Amino acid sequence: MNYQKEEIKQGITLHQIHTENFKTNLYAIFLAIPLEREKVTLDALIGAVLRRGTQRFQTQEAISKELERMYGASFNCGIEKTGDNHILKFYLETLSEEFLPEPEKLNEKCLSILFDIAFNPLTVNGAFKPEYVEGEKKNLKQIIESKIDNKAKYAYDRCIEEMYKNEPYGLYKFGYIEDIDSITSELLYQRYQELIAKCKVDIFCSGRLNEQETIKQIKENKNIQKLQERKPQYVINNEITEGKKEVQPNNIEESMQIIQGKLVIGLDILNTQENSRFIASVYNAILGGGANSKLFQNVREKQSLAYTAGSNYLRTKNSIFIRCGIEIANYQKALETIKEQLTDIANGEFSEEDLENAKRLIVSSVDAISEEQDTEITYYYGQELSDRFMSIEDYKKQILEATKGQVIELAKDVKINTIYFLKD
Amino acid sequence: MKIIESSKIKEKAYIEKLENGMTVIIIPRKNTKKKYIIWGTHFGSIDNHFIMPQTGEEVYIPDGVAHFLEHKMFEQANGTNSLDTLMALGIDANAYTTNDHTAYLFECTEHFYEGLDELMDYVQNPYFTDENVEKEKGIIGQEIKMYDDEPAWQLYMNALDCMYRENPIKIDIAGTVESISEITPDVLYKCYNIFYHPSNMAMAICGNFEPEEILKEVKKRLITKENQGEIKRIYPVQEDKINKKEKTVQMEVSLPMFMIGYKDVENSQENRIQKHIAIEILLNMIIGKSSDLYQELYEKGILLSQPDLDYEFADQYAHICISGFTKEPRLVKERIDQTVKQMQENGIDEEHFNRIKKKIYGDYVVEYNSTSETARMFLADNMKQINSFDYIEEFETVTKDYTQTVLNNIFKEENEVLSIVEPNK
Repeated sequence: MNYQKEEIKQGITLHQIHTENFKTNLYAIFLAIPLEREKVTLDALIGAVLRRGTQRFQTQEAISKELERMYGASFNCGIEKTGDNHILKFYLETLSEEFLPEPEKLNEKCLSILFDIAFNPLTVNGAFKPEYVEGEKKNLKQIIESKIDNKAKYAYDRCIEEMYKNEPYGLYKFGYIEDIDSITSELLYQRYQELIAKCKVDIFCSGRLNEQETIKQIKENKNIQKLQERKPQYVINNEITEGKKEVQPNNIEESMQIIQGKLVIGLDILNTQENSRFIASVYNAILGGGANSKLFQNVREKQSLAYTAGSNYLRTKNSIFIRCGIEIANYQKALETIKEQLTDIANGEFSEEDLENAKRLIVSSVDAISEEQDTEITYYYGQELSDRFMSIEDYKKQILEATKGQVIELAKDVKINTIYFLKD
Repeated sequence: MKIIESSKIKEKAYIEKLENGMTVIIIPRKNTKKKYIIWGTHFGSIDNHFIMPQTGEEVYIPDGVAHFLEHKMFEQANGTNSLDTLMALGIDANAYTTNDHTAYLFECTEHFYEGLDELMDYVQNPYFTDENVEKEKGIIGQEIKMYDDEPAWQLYMNALDCMYRENPIKIDIAGTVESISEITPDVLYKCYNIFYHPSNMAMAICGNFEPEEILKEVKKRLITKENQGEIKRIYPVQEDKINKKEKTVQMEVSLPMFMIGYKDVENSQENRIQKHIAIEILLNMIIGKSSDLYQELYEKGILLSQPDLDYEFADQYAHICISGFTKEPRLVKERIDQTVKQMQENGIDEEHFNRIKKKIYGDYVVEYNSTSETARMFLADNMKQINSFDYIEEFETVTKDYTQTVLNNIFKEENEVLSIVEPNK
């Protein structure tokens, strides 16, 4: 296997992926902490403030200039929600040394900048620089307000919010406008220190790298040395932890100035058996995985009710979301057609061929994991967070072993939780 | 086969022009499991007026035919749909239409040759009936409506409307609900027969292949077609002026969006690659991440992130687009204008120029990371008669002086337009 991991200190893990498929090396740091209503806005803001400046590179401009000199190394940071965790993500991608027009040592420089941004922020009198915090507060407000801009995404987010009302997963990853005004740079820095002391830290390095040299560079880095050991607080989510009861479906309709209606249906999977995730993946592929799926065939191709029709399986919450863009007047017809598909699968109305097609679809996407550097990192990080390690090869095997009987069994445990419709 | 090479990034491409006129480009990749193939025809949304090679008849077709054809090619006479057939093999297949070409593609890790059978079968065997053409109008109608709701697409279309008066690049790629209502099997067959002739097509393949081997496999699957003369496309005369300075519309967005366009009226075949590189360097110098202007606007809360920077060109059009979100679109434009003027008057800074040049080099190399990006790039560049490696190879030849000339010639206020999408009042 081209993957290996090593605990640098308790709660801080280094993952290395050796690959020669790319012209680049990719470095990433992930900080995981439980999602909480009181902290979610603060945590979203921290990511934004960190990229403004470090003790060494005090402005964004200084960071950008340094990266440009390194052949346009690209830095990215973001905030994600994975299961009930809030994850701060920092990435740096740089050309692999052998493709530089002139020889130069870039690897250590990259790690050092990345650690600087995450662990050594610019501070003034024991707090983040106030101008940066104020600036990013305004930006965050706009980001939260821009939630409405992408209608399909908005409908999906709203469905999740309704389905997980008053639960961590129902929180919006960028936080809430009403929290922003009262945040001060002192308060934010306090939360940062708390987060850094408690979170689960994972460092990923992928590319044409010398493993031993990389470990040494990381262990000797001052920012890593100053991190304390920790018993990391994070939530393990997998198909076993997400037990659910069947509920009366919740119908939500909202209006906006739009031409095409967006229908999102949230489904609970009541089955919580170990490894049911593989069956659920296959079920989802049959339902709405691709052009052969029941949704695509029946909602789009046979009835011309939609341009987009599909579904995705959210493993960390053991749920499935159906998403369609439809003519507003066709709402009832589309909903009925979708419900028929759910019943059909539970009644075993799909062929062995449908099953094989679904498996092949999943297997080919599993095969493609190592063809994209960030996808491969995301895969291994997912294994880490769910506390269930499985190699890519074993994952494939599990998918191929799923039977029609198992899919029918699981289908009987799939229940509609929320029907969300965005219309004009 | 002709071999071209980029020693800097250790890549090779094998190019063959077949007897029937079709170009095949193979980019071998040893380490990768993924295989990617893309087959394109030089037929896009701007090709709506032309002369039939055989009869000499002059033809106008409804807007949206190239895209409609793309949708309908998958349907087979035996009732199957090739997209389903490919997906059933675990092959990820797709197609798209742009202004100047239409492409059919798939990627996979296994079953490549079965996929190749299907791809080359369906692209060479159209099947259009009154019934299946009617049904598609409903699906494409929904696609058009989806774009109607997309502020970013409206922003772009309006910028084009400002820059061009008659140019068919203004036409929505999918057409309109009205224009597609006129499409019949007859129109589709007519366009298919002309534009899907091998002499008007090119193919790019990337993955772990032996070039001679895969070329043989492709040739084996090609149907022999009679030669046809050159397709004469008729485009309106190139306009040397913009259409209008500004267009603003209201939509449901949280923050105004802006797109500043510079129409490149001197668009010509010469130095296209150097010019493209110079423009990318300039755009980064003007408003890229490390520019003074971006820093200023970011700190004032006027820009939230670096605007998107783009240069689009073909024989019939060429323009620069700078777009992003801001509460003050006119102020952003004014500050960009001032910055451009300063750079034109005072000359561009050498250290800044060299630093950005390094960054752009890195950007080009990164494109070779994925098999799909690589093949797509070779195909799209081939439609413009460009060899993709030239971006890496000609890179060194772009000097500061040349870049200054490009700045002075293209970034002119008289050729600049502004498109805005603002929130509903």
